[in-house]
Amino acid sequence: MILSFDMLGLLAPAFFAGLIVASTHVPLGQEVLKRGIIFIDLAIAQIAALGMIFAHVVFASEGGMLPLVMAMAFALCAGALFAMLEKIAPDKLEALIGCTFVISACLSILLLSQNPHGGEHMQDLLAGQILWVDWRHVLLVGCVYTLILVLWFLMRHHRKLLFFFLFPVTVTLSVQLVGVYLVFASLIVPALATNRLFRGYVIAALAFLSGLILSTIYDLPSGPAIVCCYPAIAFLLRQKKQSEDESKNRQ
Amino acid sequence: MKKIMITLLSGLGLLIAAPATAMADVDIFACEPEWGALAKEVGGDHASVTTATTAFQDVHHIRAKPSLLAAMRKADLIMCSGAALESGWLPVLVQKAGGPDVQPNTVGWLMASDHVQKLEVMEQADRSMGHVHPEGNPHVHLNPEYIVQLADFVADRLYQIDPDNAEAYTVNLNDFKERWNAKLAQWKAQAAGLAGMNVIVRHKNWSYLSDWAGINVVASLEPKPGLPPTSSHLESLLQSVKNKKVSAILVAPFENDDAAQWLSGKTGIPILPLPYTVGGSDRAKTQEGMFDETFEMLGKADS
Repeated sequence: MILSFDMLGLLAPAFFAGLIVASTHVPLGQEVLKRGIIFIDLAIAQIAALGMIFAHVVFASEGGMLPLVMAMAFALCAGALFAMLEKIAPDKLEALIGCTFVISACLSILLLSQNPHGGEHMQDLLAGQILWVDWRHVLLVGCVYTLILVLWFLMRHHRKLLFFFLFPVTVTLSVQLVGVYLVFASLIVPALATNRLFRGYVIAALAFLSGLILSTIYDLPSGPAIVCCYPAIAFLLRQKKQSEDESKNRQ
Repeated sequence: MKKIMITLLSGLGLLIAAPATAMADVDIFACEPEWGALAKEVGGDHASVTTATTAFQDVHHIRAKPSLLAAMRKADLIMCSGAALESGWLPVLVQKAGGPDVQPNTVGWLMASDHVQKLEVMEQADRSMGHVHPEGNPHVHLNPEYIVQLADFVADRLYQIDPDNAEAYTVNLNDFKERWNAKLAQWKAQAAGLAGMNVIVRHKNWSYLSDWAGINVVASLEPKPGLPPTSSHLESLLQSVKNKKVSAILVAPFENDDAAQWLSGKTGIPILPLPYTVGGSDRAKTQEGMFDETFEMLGKADS
């Protein structure tokens, strides 16, 4: 497979979708890591997916706004639940979040058991279909994320509670755009590699760029290819940083 | 960090600079191998055919890969089964990368099931019936007579898209039809021997073959189309076939045969892994090879 200008035009929405996802996920991921509640994104993503499946199965709704509204409602309820749980049992929060993840995943399977091709639907939500993204999606989510970033950086002092509101909204929209695996990688990998915001953004941008290029050259599904590029890029940049620091110390 | 960026960007530059591939007169995007093969028969040297799926993929559902976007981008003609078989991915692919001449209801949009007599068309369908296609059963490629009828439609579209090479397309079409009609006589004779044979299928994707050859499909492993086999359904299936003489369980290359194995183990009915489409087995390299092998294997299973 050869990249052409034409091809780049087709890949551009996917790349910008990645940048937009990263814009909120890098700062929110650092917060997730700081709080030590890694499972929260998987749990929220799974509960949002459960909401979509619920709309799909109970209201037989295929497209339109209802699945998204349902996903958002489910995710926000989960956010409220976690905020409450943090007050009641802060030391068991991560374990409780893990439990909600498994339970909502199983509820999805049970709901989909009567649904033709349900397993494939689940696969789609997990691996994502980033290549299908078009400019409309990018623009829409971009507007919402600008708002979220403004809130996040302006209301620094209220982050403790704000997190449980902004995080579900972000994860729900991102899952629709790029799938659960990429959402997880975009949150956790940059935060693991660095605690600086800018460096996190660079890691995310390079991971999306290299993943999309590799997936085009070798004709692989793009979402999983980008996920695999994430740790490689993070590792390379970390090595680079360390060698820079060492040479600085020697001087 | 700069170094990595420079490496990546220069790699990108090299790739863009690479020369474009050779140009064919008509670029054809086929959703399934059978339509890719048919398009190649009629298009010949003037057509470059990209087939989106292989015989080992379930075409209801495929993963988004960059090559699909690239192929759709340059397509002059799309040929698929239609009747909502590809509804999970074809509309979004066409919308994203298809040109104005390959949109639905244009010259470049050829859906096989729009042009043949469909089976299992429903007046009313609801979700409780499983993955039914209210438009009718889309797996039309297994009726060998439809293939030759559809060749005319392919030629007709090629005349309109690329009138300069119309003569070549006519030569290819006539050559193909002559070969195919000779084969049809042979397959008809073979099918006559199969009439009344009982088979079990996994999914309802063999209906056109069984209808054409007079084979009875006595049961499906799927409780409803698209739903994986359940234990209670298999149990009742076991009871219902007890007193019948069933010759084979038909399984396509992309289908999981766990349930077929289970039923075969309990009943002794052999599993018959048919090629299903072009590329589904070593012999099924062409449409003719595929039908040859299919009728031969069915004949052996029936005896």
